[in-house]
Amino acid sequence: MLLNYIKIAWKVLLRHPFYTFITLFGISLTLTVLMVLTSFLDHLFGPHYPENNRSRSLYIANVLQTDSAQSSMSSGPASFNFLKKYAKSLKTPEKVTVMSNFSFSNTYINGKKIKLNTKYTDTEFWEVTNFDFLEGKPYTIQNINNGDHVAVITDALRKQYFDDGSQPVVGKSIEVENIKYRIIGVIKGSPVTRIYTYGDIYFPYTAPKSNYENKGMRGSYIAIVLAKSQSDMAAIQSEFDSGIARIPNAEISDGRQFTKLVVKAENYFDHFVNTFARNDSQRFLFYAVIVFVILMFMGLPAINLINVNVSRILERASEIGVRKAFGAPSKALLWQFIVENIFITFIGGMFALILSFLIIYLINTSGWIAYADLTINFTVFFVSVFVCLVFGLLSGVLPAFRMSKLKIVDALKA
Amino acid sequence: MLRHLFKLIWNKKGTHSLLIIEIWASFMVLFGVLSLIAYNVNNYLDPIGFEYQSVWNLDLSHNQDTVEVAAKIQRILQRVKSYPEVQSVSRMSSNTPFSANQMNNSVAYNKISVLTDQYRSDENMSTTLNLPIIAGRWYKKEDMVSKSVPIVINSRFKEKMFGNENPLGKLIKKDDKTFFKVIGVIDKFKAKGEFMTDAPAMFEMISSDNDWDSNILIKVKPGTDADFEAKLVKDVAVMLPGWGIEVSYLNESRENRHKLTLVPVIIFLIISGFLLTNVALGLFGILNLSIARRRGEIGLRRAMGATEGKVAIQFLGEIWVLAAFSMIIGLVFAIQFPIMNVFDIASGIYITAIIAASIIIFLIVTLCAWYPSRQASRIHPAVALHEE
Repeated sequence: MLLNYIKIAWKVLLRHPFYTFITLFGISLTLTVLMVLTSFLDHLFGPHYPENNRSRSLYIANVLQTDSAQSSMSSGPASFNFLKKYAKSLKTPEKVTVMSNFSFSNTYINGKKIKLNTKYTDTEFWEVTNFDFLEGKPYTIQNINNGDHVAVITDALRKQYFDDGSQPVVGKSIEVENIKYRIIGVIKGSPVTRIYTYGDIYFPYTAPKSNYENKGMRGSYIAIVLAKSQSDMAAIQSEFDSGIARIPNAEISDGRQFTKLVVKAENYFDHFVNTFARNDSQRFLFYAVIVFVILMFMGLPAINLINVNVSRILERASEIGVRKAFGAPSKALLWQFIVENIFITFIGGMFALILSFLIIYLINTSGWIAYADLTINFTVFFVSVFVCLVFGLLSGVLPAFRMSKLKIVDALKA
Repeated sequence: MLRHLFKLIWNKKGTHSLLIIEIWASFMVLFGVLSLIAYNVNNYLDPIGFEYQSVWNLDLSHNQDTVEVAAKIQRILQRVKSYPEVQSVSRMSSNTPFSANQMNNSVAYNKISVLTDQYRSDENMSTTLNLPIIAGRWYKKEDMVSKSVPIVINSRFKEKMFGNENPLGKLIKKDDKTFFKVIGVIDKFKAKGEFMTDAPAMFEMISSDNDWDSNILIKVKPGTDADFEAKLVKDVAVMLPGWGIEVSYLNESRENRHKLTLVPVIIFLIISGFLLTNVALGLFGILNLSIARRRGEIGLRRAMGATEGKVAIQFLGEIWVLAAFSMIIGLVFAIQFPIMNVFDIASGIYITAIIAASIIIFLIVTLCAWYPSRQASRIHPAVALHEE
């Protein structure tokens, strides 16, 4: 019976090609945008190269200093010393890494200027992240203790600086602001949207100009805490919080009149949301707005397409009348129309999938975000299928319900 | 005919309520994005007031070195001046043109308080950035006396603080011990780029013991390349070991600033595109449905002698009335903006946006209603009436 319904649906669609086109256009557009958006969100928040361990990582990226009256406030990344004292000392995690936020510099070679994003890290950085070493290896604890001038560069920088991406460059040197750094490893680059691990050139934190010596709480360093497993994360958070709670008031004032210190170890998504929403009510508002926007985005086209669906079904009033006269229950007719609608939604969904692949391919190759690695992976795909179903139901249920309740007399009269 | 159409739509306002709300929402969002575009275009046409081509920004950071910072910066200034490729050198505070930094404060004189962007620089600034002086002159080293700090203001500041009075020589209170003395007036200085509104600004002279401001603007001869830049960075690094040295070009920073202005415009354009697509979908649906239901009425009109054109105009007219309903509601909201000068923006911009938004909505609505109306007009009276 299902196959018959689908055959009928197909024939009905071919009857009015213009309105079929309109319906398919509306469905495909909405679903394409939803799929590309899901892929983008997955790219931003999901575990991908080089932060494949995001599901068991906590980020300590922001320190908020204020006083009890909230009359003055200062917030930003922490200093290396602060993170060494309170993050590196944690006992529960598997590993803790401290690294600087990326900064800007330039290097010059053969009359060419190359812009650099520079980063200073410790040795644990390479164990917490999953960078692919195409050549060489990361710097070691010896390099850090000796204050060696060594660097790890990305493959793109290797190509730009040495003009030939195929020759090995480990052991050669690169000069930045008149200091020569020996290249110790080459990694595959990562997209700039993973802001905490992105860079062109990585130095050990004892290299010049890292400002790791700064006293005080604030600086430009952040920490990533890798837990042994996801279940440990709550324990790590409470250990960190109790460590912060024990900081004496003299240290909290940090040379100014601060009396309150707010710093948390959070998973990436929570940390991201908290940059926009500082307290619970703002967070609630943020989520409410997002849910509203998504509902609106799916609901509006669905509701607009209801009328097109109603008129499509209206034409077949006589067919409905005949079936009812022969004893078909309302439920069977309702079921038929819902199947029809889901059928047309899935056709639209297929077009949307093809379009999304195209758009994602274009974004990845256009270089708009270098190293972009947007994908349609299983999560994205299943979310999209689910969205198609919801969409089909939303736009199909109401007209189907109305038509299945039609009186036989009215249906046959037309 | 118009009254008849109004009555038809008014009777069906319930069923059409979703479409009315959608058209109203599209109108409001279009009004918003067109106001933003009109505002930006208006600002863009206003000249920037200085020259940024061939000007480099040398950004120094002393990092862990705190010994004799002021003297070291002076030595760098002398060294940079000595290169043949350099036309002019000027020290500046961190809010260099097109940077993300902003420093502003309220400045008061004779009970008038003006929020001013405050820049600090030296005696060569007007040459380095080519700032034309329209009154007085730029400050010189000799102007820095014990209790007064020389400043140069822009026209906007002069209008707001002094009106038609001559500002030269006036003393503005800086703090309990010192005063600002107005030495000259320049025309405009839109430091964040062409899309910035011209705001009050003042340039304060950097004192010789200042160890805080470490940006150096360098005007180079056109055609100077990365080889000289590499040499400059190397020489500075030899003189200042351990200091951070970054060279950026003002014209590249300007393009980055432009991109920042573009982002909200693009986001709003996407949202209005989405809403307008929905309006189109909704229109098709409603027209299709109502034409299907009113075949008898159409057939009757045609049998009584109405031409195809008249029937098409009837349906188009109904949709126009629908759109006009929504836009009148939208206008009630939108007209508040120019009347109350919201965000201190000129009314002309809002009026332009309202007119443009109305035209766009009417165009789209007409386009969408065209095909179904033509379909309705082609209904054969014999076929339509036969079904009844």
